[in-house]
Amino acid sequence: MRMLQKTSFFLIFFVSVYVFFEGAVVESEASAIDLPKTVGVWTRPETPQIINSENIFEYMNGAGELYLGYRFRHLEAFEYTSEEQAGILVELYFMETSDDAFGLLSLDWGGEIIFFGGIPGDRSNPSLDSSTRALYGAGLLRMWSDDLYVRVMAFRETPASRQAVLALAEAIAANRMNPPEPRLLTALSAQIGSVWALRKDRLSFFRSYLSLNSVYYLSHENILDLNLSTEAVMVTYENVAGSGEQRRSQFLVVQYENRERARKALNRFHEAYLPEHQEAFTTDLADKGPRLFKIEDGWLAYKLIGNYVAIVFECPDRETAGMIIEGNEPDLPK
Amino acid sequence: MKEMKRVLTRRDFIRGTIGVTIGTSILGFRWPKAEAQAARSSLVTIVRDENAMDTSFNVDRTILKKMLEQTLTKVTGRKNSKEAWLSLLNPGDTIGLVPTPHLNPTHDEVVDVVRNSLVDAGIPGESILDAQGRDSPEKVKKCTALIGLPALKAHWLTGIGTVIKNYILFSGNPRGYHQSDSSKLGEIWKLPFVKGKTKLVLVDSLYPLCDKGPQPDPRYKWAYNGLIAGTDPVAVETVCLKIIETKREAIRGEPWPLSPPPICIEAADKVYGLGTSRVEEIRVEHYGWEKDLLI
Repeated sequence: MRMLQKTSFFLIFFVSVYVFFEGAVVESEASAIDLPKTVGVWTRPETPQIINSENIFEYMNGAGELYLGYRFRHLEAFEYTSEEQAGILVELYFMETSDDAFGLLSLDWGGEIIFFGGIPGDRSNPSLDSSTRALYGAGLLRMWSDDLYVRVMAFRETPASRQAVLALAEAIAANRMNPPEPRLLTALSAQIGSVWALRKDRLSFFRSYLSLNSVYYLSHENILDLNLSTEAVMVTYENVAGSGEQRRSQFLVVQYENRERARKALNRFHEAYLPEHQEAFTTDLADKGPRLFKIEDGWLAYKLIGNYVAIVFECPDRETAGMIIEGNEPDLPK
Repeated sequence: MKEMKRVLTRRDFIRGTIGVTIGTSILGFRWPKAEAQAARSSLVTIVRDENAMDTSFNVDRTILKKMLEQTLTKVTGRKNSKEAWLSLLNPGDTIGLVPTPHLNPTHDEVVDVVRNSLVDAGIPGESILDAQGRDSPEKVKKCTALIGLPALKAHWLTGIGTVIKNYILFSGNPRGYHQSDSSKLGEIWKLPFVKGKTKLVLVDSLYPLCDKGPQPDPRYKWAYNGLIAGTDPVAVETVCLKIIETKREAIRGEPWPLSPPPICIEAADKVYGLGTSRVEEIRVEHYGWEKDLLI
């Protein structure tokens, strides 16, 4: 009995300490971004609404799955209000890494590119020539700033609200680091052969199959075993010289914790996606050279490369499918 | 070769075998109910007015009221709104209005105009409930008739999030109907306290959202200024889907399919027999403003 009491005491103590310090972390981060009290005719409340993984669905319903599919820490939301104009919502998504914040921005590269000056960001792959960190359109600004993903949205766009939205974003980005894009991007070749060019506006970084499906639908089930420990990039290659119907191919590369996990994931993918080719799958073959299959929407190729799985979809011919895999293989981070 | 569970993949959409795969996974090898296979014809109306909203997207209630009247008479073939409502409902019904609360919510003006029109038709105001929300199962149980009032929008977990998905909170377990399980959204319409109660689906298409979110992005909203309606929820959803797909392609100037694809529509037809998703079985009638009709 005494043993049980003792155990219960320590359990309660440790839980209390954990809760206290977790709270302290949130409070300390809440003060890390110095948002102006007023901007134009808009004024913010003293304190933000703080949302974590426990209550994110109450705040945004199913949209919470997107953020939990990256390494989400918490969200601070401020609504600037004005008697004269519709409000402006500022959402600061604190992520565990800069890669996660980049990933959220990378799901949609549309909009007007906004530069806030200051020191240009580092780049992991200069050949991609993409240093975009903020995009604006129709009243909404989205921004990647180190480990912060930001949405600033005017509920009604006016010249004044645009000015206020940009001013708020600039204040948020001030004095923050500009880390490079995820290392996995270093593997990507901007050009494959003489005619296949990478579409920078169709490049997405993610960790979950929900995000994958939002950029390129593969399956309603997680057939590639994606989770928060994986990193994945999906990108479109376009035939810049072609005029036929099939001018685009999709390239997916996933980095797993280790080779065994990658092998299992590729095995599962093969079983689910190529069920009529069960006899063709062997791990030994999978990492010797690209495996190629002709299916309904063109050629599919895959290869197990160490702890990576690389897959090409919708390729017009087998040669190009192989080229895209091999062209992206040499620079995969070791 | 070992026996494996069929997994729905992109290839099912390319081959047109989605219905078979979903049907197999949900119903075993039984094929859907006879009513889903019988020849059908469903009417869907689109009523639009260029001035339904001003340039600041404020809704003109007078114009909206006229659009509703036209919708009701065209859907039912009756002379006026009162006759139309009474052909769909009984005066003693307890009526649940089901607007969309989130992402691209139904305009309050649409709900108000419908409520006022029902009262004008002789339905007591106290018999008209808001049947949406987390406590909706209890509210729906009190209703003898439902009027779906979703707003036109895409959805990042289910492809489209307009008609069929609008009842997701009736399930008491909304997260259970996302992604692969979104094919089962139609089963909510078959719950004993929901089945057969929906008398009209009226889609607020004044200011739709054609990208999936998950949060609203004003770049993908546009003034369509319309009301889309019918008594077949699947046919109405199919027309909504066509409009969203056409708008997306127009925005990007290249194919931009909804991702993930809206499997709930075909399943609602072929698995749950809620209506038709076949374009050849849907008669679309449109009235009013024709510019960028998108269908």
